[in-house]
Amino acid sequence: MTDIETMDREALAALQLLRFKRAVTTALKTPFYKKRLQGVGIRSAEDLKTLEDIRKIPYTTKEDLREAYPYGLLAVDKDDVVRMHASSGTTGTPTVIYQTQHDLDRWTDLTARSLVAAGCGRSDVFQNMMTYGLFTGGLGLHYGAEKLGMLVIPASSGNTKRQFQLMKDFGTTVVHATPSYMLHMYNRIEEMGYSLNDFKLKKALVGAEPHSEEIRQKIEKLYTIDVYNSYGLSEMNGPSVAFECTEKKGMHLWEDSYYLEIVDKHSLEPVPDGETGELVLSILIRTATPILRYRTRDLTSIIPGKCACGRTSRRINRIVGRTDDMLIINGVNVFPSQIEEIIMKMTEVGTNYRIIVKKEGVLDKLIVQTEVGPSIFSDDARDINALKNRIAENLRASITINPAIELHEPGMLPVQQGKAIRVVDERRKPV
Amino acid sequence: MIWNKKIETMNREEMKRLQLEKLQDLVQYVYEKVPFYKEKFDAAGVKPSDIKTLSDIAKLPFTTKDEMRETYPYGLLACKPEELREIHTSSGTTGTPVVAGYTENDRTLWKEVMGRCLAMAGGSKDDVVQNAYGYGMFTGGLGVHYGAEAIGATVLPVSSGNTKRQLTFMRDFKSTILTCTPSYSLFMAEVAGEMGMDFKTFDLKAGIFGAEPWSDNMRVEIEHKLNIKAYDIYGLTEIIGPGVSCECEAQNGLHINEDYFYPEIINPETGEVLPEGEKGELVFTTLSREGTPIIRYRTRDITWLFHDSCSCGRTTVKMHRLLGRNDDMMILRGVNIFPSQIENVLMQIEGTEPHYQIIIDRSKTHLDHVELQVEVEGRLFSDETKNLEKIRDIIHNEMKQALGISLDIKLVEPKSIERSMGKAKRVIDKRDTEKEK
Repeated sequence: MTDIETMDREALAALQLLRFKRAVTTALKTPFYKKRLQGVGIRSAEDLKTLEDIRKIPYTTKEDLREAYPYGLLAVDKDDVVRMHASSGTTGTPTVIYQTQHDLDRWTDLTARSLVAAGCGRSDVFQNMMTYGLFTGGLGLHYGAEKLGMLVIPASSGNTKRQFQLMKDFGTTVVHATPSYMLHMYNRIEEMGYSLNDFKLKKALVGAEPHSEEIRQKIEKLYTIDVYNSYGLSEMNGPSVAFECTEKKGMHLWEDSYYLEIVDKHSLEPVPDGETGELVLSILIRTATPILRYRTRDLTSIIPGKCACGRTSRRINRIVGRTDDMLIINGVNVFPSQIEEIIMKMTEVGTNYRIIVKKEGVLDKLIVQTEVGPSIFSDDARDINALKNRIAENLRASITINPAIELHEPGMLPVQQGKAIRVVDERRKPV
Repeated sequence: MIWNKKIETMNREEMKRLQLEKLQDLVQYVYEKVPFYKEKFDAAGVKPSDIKTLSDIAKLPFTTKDEMRETYPYGLLACKPEELREIHTSSGTTGTPVVAGYTENDRTLWKEVMGRCLAMAGGSKDDVVQNAYGYGMFTGGLGVHYGAEAIGATVLPVSSGNTKRQLTFMRDFKSTILTCTPSYSLFMAEVAGEMGMDFKTFDLKAGIFGAEPWSDNMRVEIEHKLNIKAYDIYGLTEIIGPGVSCECEAQNGLHINEDYFYPEIINPETGEVLPEGEKGELVFTTLSREGTPIIRYRTRDITWLFHDSCSCGRTTVKMHRLLGRNDDMMILRGVNIFPSQIENVLMQIEGTEPHYQIIIDRSKTHLDHVELQVEVEGRLFSDETKNLEKIRDIIHNEMKQALGISLDIKLVEPKSIERSMGKAKRVIDKRDTEKEK
């Protein structure tokens, strides 16, 4: 544990103000924030006298990030950028986060800190089952584990049999995965010729999708391990915005690096500690892409009181929902509008469609139903399959996951009165 | 820019001194730390003190892929497992995987050699590297990633697959260097065409391609279709991953990072070391690895080594681009043939596409039947059939001339041969060789 984690609240607030001012100075270097901050009379960091003044700054939304694409939020020289993490946008325009080496180092400090909070140490063997690449879940913790001196097995996601082989052969003690993948793996251990006794697993760090306390306890019981919850989003770097300590009583949101607010989802006014609202975050440690007062759309609450571990950063509860229609499918964020946009672009496909998300075993399954002209059904089955593949491929290019496609004749899908309810999320039903 | 001027432009004598020093330390190190090597050295009657000159390396036994498999997972580990910081394994498509363990110093070494490679291909901190090698256990993704980080370039860690997204990002983020397999780059060019994108409007200036053998003619094709300079990079998990060697601006041979990876060319039959310039099997010794050091690893790759006064100023030894592998070499009706030879011929024939597949069968005639499927330009199918016949004859005759045997040529429409996001599967060998024995 570093000193900064146990700093008293007063000193922490002073540090936050200092860093927030620095973030404002950085933000003023970007075309986007220059305009936005000057619009509310903030011309320099000195216009912020107290942390209360932060509320003068308008919220930043995902749409703002898209509008600022590609360079509207870049505060440094392009040559100083060493990493980009981009996500496909909901309406075609991607969002992008730039990092300098300094920024990456600060992020690595946080991921290493988070691993320590969850009780990991240099003698651990860390198998990282989150996807490596543009998704920040994989590379994020990779660097923290590296810094901590753990042995890193960069397994990335999928290939369950190989995951088991690596776990067994290299004595993996800590894994990082989505909670649903942990459940999925458990169901396949025997079938793939392994048993729990083959493994030395002690901990699982789970994130990237919301889950209940019951699911955590279920995973803990099935594997006889400790499970720790993590929270992050690519706009705020990725994993390690908030992480559970070994007390398992909520996730410490690293307040020296992120300024935390919880606001009422309608009025956008602050709510008292303990009340659920939308999480709003400002990143205080990034120089390439500053983001102030970002509306995460995630619903949570602050846990009042001190944590027994001694860390003074406040804790948030597990995420209980979203204020928009974003779906999280096996850890991947998908907006229905992304699917709609792709389908509407394809001339062979009608305008009525439906998105169904359900559980297949313990994993999520996305089904996209669309209407097509009746003539296709009289054609060769190969044509139908070719069209299905084409739709699936176009969708995969945008949302990165593989949907099942169902084609229906015109009029076969339910027509909704008024606002069409095109998304059916069957996962919420009690099992 | 030369990333490590001191090493990469070192004079020969100094380099040899450095290599000998490192080799002596290495042999002592593995003799003490790895029982596998001690036993092998003892059986061969060689002691660390016997290594007095660089050529004494020939006294040491080879290490094979089979031995690496047999010792899986930690039989070749020279450090304590807790000193390891990263593990990679080969895909193990043909059985037990091979494991590479990296200590902190090994990882630093990897970053250094990959940084040098990217610099050889003209990379610098000003570049945006779109890394389309697969991230994860495969060394290609993280290896290139570390190297791009080392030179301070911007890394776009896009990983493999999802071609449409690759192209969109390439355009939007003005990527200047693309890293992937050569066959995937051609596939990208094809998809770009379908999407109405034009590489001429992109900022892409170079591609660093590896993980599968390719030819100079394929380079011409890639350079033309992607409007870039294409550089060959070489590496293998057993040695470090990518970063063993890479082409420089001269595009004439790959400079080997020989201060870390000592190369030899041997006669694959006798194991005898061949003089510089002779073609044979490439063998590497990792001079500085701490985790899984490897002595005289038989790569099965066929090439030759040479020195020239390279225009880039580097003095390190070069390897010619791979001519094939000992084990992908096909023996067709008694003739040794490399897929790259076939590729070379195809590239010179007007109207053919750089996508082909070789299907070898023996079931009908008990003789090898070799079908070569070649994609030809779509317009040929709409023309008179005699045009198709004409091109088929040309391919047949050119192949016969180059390879010495007759192939059954089958022309197929563009995009009918399955594309690969990784290594292209060029040869489908249906012969049941086990039964023959």
